[in-house]
This record gives sequence, structure tokens and C-alpha cells, in this order.
Amino acid sequence: MDLENYTNVNIFKKVYEKREVSSIHNVVEQPHHLLKDNTQHAKGGFNPYVNNQGTTVAIAGKDFVLVAADTRISQGFNILSRDYSRTTKLTDQCVITSGGMVADIETLHKLLIAKVKTYQRQFKKTPTVESLAQLLGNTLYGRRFMPYYAFNLLCGIDQNGQGSVYGYDAIGSWDKLTYGVQGSGSELGAPILDNQFVGHNYLVKTLPDDVSVVEDTGKDIINSIAERDIYTGDQVEIVIVDKNGIRVKREPIRRD
Amino acid sequence: MSGHNCVAIATDTRLSTQLMTIDTSFQRVFKVTDSCLMGVSGLGTDVQTLQLTLRSFYFSNSLMKFKLNLYRLKEGRDMKADVFSKLVATSLYEHRFGPYFVSPVIAGLDKVGENEYSPVICTYDSIGYREHNGQFEVAGTGAELLYGVCETFYKPNLEPEQLFEVISNSLLSALDRDSLSGWGAKVYLLTPTELTVRSLKTRQD
Amino acid sequence: MELDYLKTLPLGGFNFDNCIRNRAMAESGILQAPKTMKTGTTICGVLFKDGVVLAADTRATGGSIVGDKNCEKIHNLAPNIFCCGAGTAADCDHVTEMIKRQLELHRLNTHSENRVQMAALKLVAHAFKYGGQIGTHLIVGGVDVKGPQLIECSNDGNMYSMPYHTTGSGSLAAMAIMETRYKENMTREEAVNLCIAAIEAGIYHDLGSGSNVDVCVITRNKYEMLRNIKHDNFKVFSKPGGYQFKKDRVQVVEEFKHKLVVEAGEQPMDLS
Repeated sequence: MDLENYTNVNIFKKVYEKREVSSIHNVVEQPHHLLKDNTQHAKGGFNPYVNNQGTTVAIAGKDFVLVAADTRISQGFNILSRDYSRTTKLTDQCVITSGGMVADIETLHKLLIAKVKTYQRQFKKTPTVESLAQLLGNTLYGRRFMPYYAFNLLCGIDQNGQGSVYGYDAIGSWDKLTYGVQGSGSELGAPILDNQFVGHNYLVKTLPDDVSVVEDTGKDIINSIAERDIYTGDQVEIVIVDKNGIRVKREPIRRD
Repeated sequence: MSGHNCVAIATDTRLSTQLMTIDTSFQRVFKVTDSCLMGVSGLGTDVQTLQLTLRSFYFSNSLMKFKLNLYRLKEGRDMKADVFSKLVATSLYEHRFGPYFVSPVIAGLDKVGENEYSPVICTYDSIGYREHNGQFEVAGTGAELLYGVCETFYKPNLEPEQLFEVISNSLLSALDRDSLSGWGAKVYLLTPTELTVRSLKTRQD
Repeated sequence: MELDYLKTLPLGGFNFDNCIRNRAMAESGILQAPKTMKTGTTICGVLFKDGVVLAADTRATGGSIVGDKNCEKIHNLAPNIFCCGAGTAADCDHVTEMIKRQLELHRLNTHSENRVQMAALKLVAHAFKYGGQIGTHLIVGGVDVKGPQLIECSNDGNMYSMPYHTTGSGSLAAMAIMETRYKENMTREEAVNLCIAAIEAGIYHDLGSGSNVDVCVITRNKYEMLRNIKHDNFKVFSKPGGYQFKKDRVQVVEEFKHKLVVEAGEQPMDLS
């Protein structure tokens, strides 16, 4: 046996032995590896979260805001629904759209509707998008250690009549954006929006003013994501918010 | 990405260990033959092992250069891009159980008739599954980002300059969103008569 | 020519050079092995009166991303034998290619038609040799002297034969169709339609499967490859007029042109 092979064998032994030890170590001291599999509830691991996937895109315009979302919800490799609307109307000038776990999304949306109603009774006026944005941030952070598994975009017309989009993570970090994308296809959608709309990497942000162009782009983006992301498909739901109120359209996209 | 009688590869120039940048002018794309380019992303050492400029030993880790040279000696002609793409697949599959951590992209032009060239565009996973649809292929850390932009912006049968615009926009948009890529970008545009290399202005981070 | 050293080259077989390095890297957490492409498939095969029908979808996935929208999962092993592959995409491609060559040699040596049994046995023997590490789940179908045959070969070295088979991530959806609609002695038409229905069940109800349906019909002395017999899934909407890019987005810093060799009066290079 030549020297090279000899050393190789030794390295192999070392690595192999080390691996044996470390694997035992894992089992004894870290039962948390069970948490990775959310179907496994036994042995102290309980994971109430599932990701039902889906993609949603929001783009703010000069005097409107557009949401394009797919309508598929899935669990693992199975499709649970083909016509689920992930966008909810909060006020006449504001909608919320989310990706993530459907149960949490529904609960959160209902909660927000309730809070809007309370606000209306209490202050005798409809909350502005800015206040709702802060409210949503607080609501999410209020559950810091058992968060809603929902990735939200809050979209509406602000007090100046401009479109605005607010993006959130699951525990309430938020920011005002000019466009946003959330859900399983967010990685695919983000750079397209970067390229087509001014925002990312630019200091001065001018908003688009043509609804039909933005609508076509939004639809195309969801279509493109559906080509490559297996969790996105079935239908594209377009929601347009402007001073006249909210319009909703649906169009079929690929269903496989 | 492929166009009408032309193909292009676009790449960034950053080499890093996870989050630390090591090299900001790393060459990832190599000319295989006059009609074929190969871009390799992945583990730096493996990229260089696979790459062609290393005219090194005949043993397994010389890989492509040696195989190409041997083919040229035996056959007296350059390897076609299509043949080369299959050779890469088998070479990677040879290492099925101890793979090179790379995902190569190949762009080439094969002559099929008088002034007619068929584009060869393919990419591989690390163990040699060859994906080829003749339109566009992506690989590397920003693959998902690139899939999105390419799917939206790509149109078949573009002329070289249009192709350059589409591929540059696709790469730059994805690059800005990918924290592991950046520090400059290069576009290699191959037509039957000419290879054009252009450096693009990008964010330096 | 002094090419003797070529005889020392390793010919065929796997190369394990990087194993130790890769494992050491995984151990120390430098780098995790990259994901490989899976077919994430629905494939099926059915026996009918005078032949076999094989069918497959055409999607290859890597994680949740579609890698290849129109890949070929029905591989040719011999003129009378075809095989559908599910599992690790690279394994399916290369193993079937290898067996195809072996069968061709056997055919030339014996001057006789290959038997389906033999193709299946070769596949199974190869898979078993690697203890299930080679991720090939195949359905082999063909017609030989013993008539039409359909055999399923799993990655751990099992091999079994039934009148209808489904495999892959969409196998349950496809099998549901098979179980309800299969009957003995079907005509060619019925068998093809059954296969298409089964694959479509997988395409629409399993996220791992998608795009088009490929069908291959093998009868005595004849095969018919019906590629993309169903192609209902495509991008429905693209922005009319395409995209305009901002002028200042792409700025070329430097340019380098390399003229490729053009020999007198000839095309750039000899690619024959």
C-alpha cells in the first residue's frame, strides 16, 4: 500500500469514528431534531405550524394599489384548495394579503376586521392605512413567541391618495414599500419587480401611473412564478384598490 | 440563454466562503471550443478542477481539458457542443457518490446547416443530470431568483444585441437580490464568428 | 504516438475520490452537499391485448422549483423494450443509458432479440449492487418471444410483475385511476386513454408531477413514441408587447471581442 492510500484510510477511519460518536451524541442530547418533521408529534416535539405556500404580489401606483395572488393552498405535495382567496378587504381603501399557514391567515384577517370595526365604533371614522399598518405590526409582535405563521402585505390608498404597500415578517417587523412579494414564490418574484418598478436600490421613488400596465405585469409575474414554483398555480386573483373602491378579478393559470 | 444564432452566459465575479468575500474577480466562464462556453458555479476548488485552463495531469481531476484534447487527437476535430454537454454529464455522474460541488452551465452553437446553428443550452445538478430545453438555464446561489426573471423576460429567437439586453437585465436584477453574488458581472456573448465579453457596472457588494 | 499512459486511465465505474473530502466538509459544517434533481414523477405502465403502454409526466423538480418543464422520462432500452424512470434524475438517465449499451452488445453477440426479463434483471442487479443507494424506480415494459411484459424494478433490488404499475410521487393518484378503470384484454385505444388519465391524475393532483404527458406504445415488432400527447399546461398569459428595460440599467464598463478563426472561404469551424 502506498503512502497516499495509507493516509486516506486513516483519515477515513477518523472521520468514520467521529461520525459514530457525533450521531449518538445527537440522539441523546438533542431530541429537537424531531421538530423538523411537522407530522411527528410524539416524544415532546409538537409543531403546530404548516406552510400552505402560495404567492402574493402587491404593487403601489400613483393613485391605486394592485394585488396579484395565486389561489392555491397545499400541504406537502397535495393540493388542498384551488380557489382560496388570500386577500381580505379591511376597509374600502385597504386590503391585506398573506402567504403562509391558512389557519393563521384566516384568524389574523378576522381579527383585523374585528379591530377595524372596534375602531370605527370608538372613533366614528374609518382607520387610515397608516394606522392599520401600525396596528398589524403590533398585533403580530404581540404574539412574538407563538407567532401567526403569516407573511403579510398590507395595501391601500393613503391619506394623500397615493398607493402604498406595507411588508411584514411573521413577528411584526415592517416597512413601507412601493411593491412587495410574499410566499413561496417570493424569491422568484422579487427581482422581476426590482427591474420593472422603481424602489429597490433607488433613492427617489416615482410610482407607476397606468393601472393596465401594472395589472398586466402583476398577472405575468404570477404566471411566471407558476411556471417554476410547484406551490403556485390554479388561478390568479387580481385586486385593485383605488378611490372608487375595490375591484376583484380572477383568471385561470396552469393547474399542474 | 439562447437567441437566434447566438448564445450568451452571464455571471457574477464574486468568490466567497459563505459570507466573506475572498475574490472579486473570479473567472467562472471558460471557452471550451470555438463553439462552446462553459460556466461553472459552486465550490471554488471544484470549479477550478473542472475548468479547462488547468492543463494538468491526466488523472481524474484534469477532467475536461484532457478529455477534450484526447478527443481532438483521436478525431482530428473539435468536439461539438452537444457532445461536450453529454461528456460533462457522464463525467459528473462518475462521481455519483462523491460529487464535485458544482453546477455547470453550457452554452454552445452547433452547426446544422448553411448559416444555421442550433443552440445548446444545458445545466446540470452536482451528480450529472443534464437539463436542456434550448431556451435558458440557470445555476448557482441565485438560481431561484434567476428562474423568476428569465421566465418573465426571456423571448425565443432574439438577435445578439437584444439577447444581451435581456440576459444583462435578468442577471443584474437577480444579482441585487442575492447576498451571495455580486461584485461585478460579465456577459459572454457567442455568435458563430465572434465571442464578445462585456463587463457590467453593478453594485459593489 | 506515445499514448501508452492512456492505458492507466480508469475506465468506467464510479469514482470515490471526493468521498472523504465531502464527508469531512459535511462533518465540519463547511459545506453541505448540494441538492440533487429528483424527477418527482408520475409514471405508469399497462398491459393490453397485444402489447404494453408506458406513460410518464415531464416535470423534473429540485426541491420546490421546477428544473425541467419538459424532460423525457421514457427511456429506450432496446427496439422492443422501453422503461419509465422515477427517483433521482441523474441515476435514471445514466443507468438506463448504460443498460441500453449492454443490451445492444448482447443483441449483436447473440443475433437475437433482447428479452424484457433480461433488461429488468440487469437493472435490478445494478441497483442491488449499490444497496438501494442508486435512486432508480423503474417500470420496464416490452414485447419479446414470451409476449408483452411489464416489470417494476425498485431501487433496493426488488422486481415484480403485474398487469398495471404506477410509481413516483403521484403513484397514489395514478393507481386510483388504474384500480377503477383497468380491465383485462383492453384494446390499444383503451389502454392509451387509461394511461393518459392516470398520468393526468398525477399531474393535476400531485405537485411533484406536471407539464405534459408522454406515452409509448410497444407492440410486436413495432413501437410508437407519442411525445407530449397531452400538452395542456403552459404559460397562459404573458404581458402583451413584452418588457421595456430602463436605459441606464445596463452599463458596459469594458468590452472585449474575440474573433473566432475563420479559415479562407470556409465556415468558422468544422463541426461535422
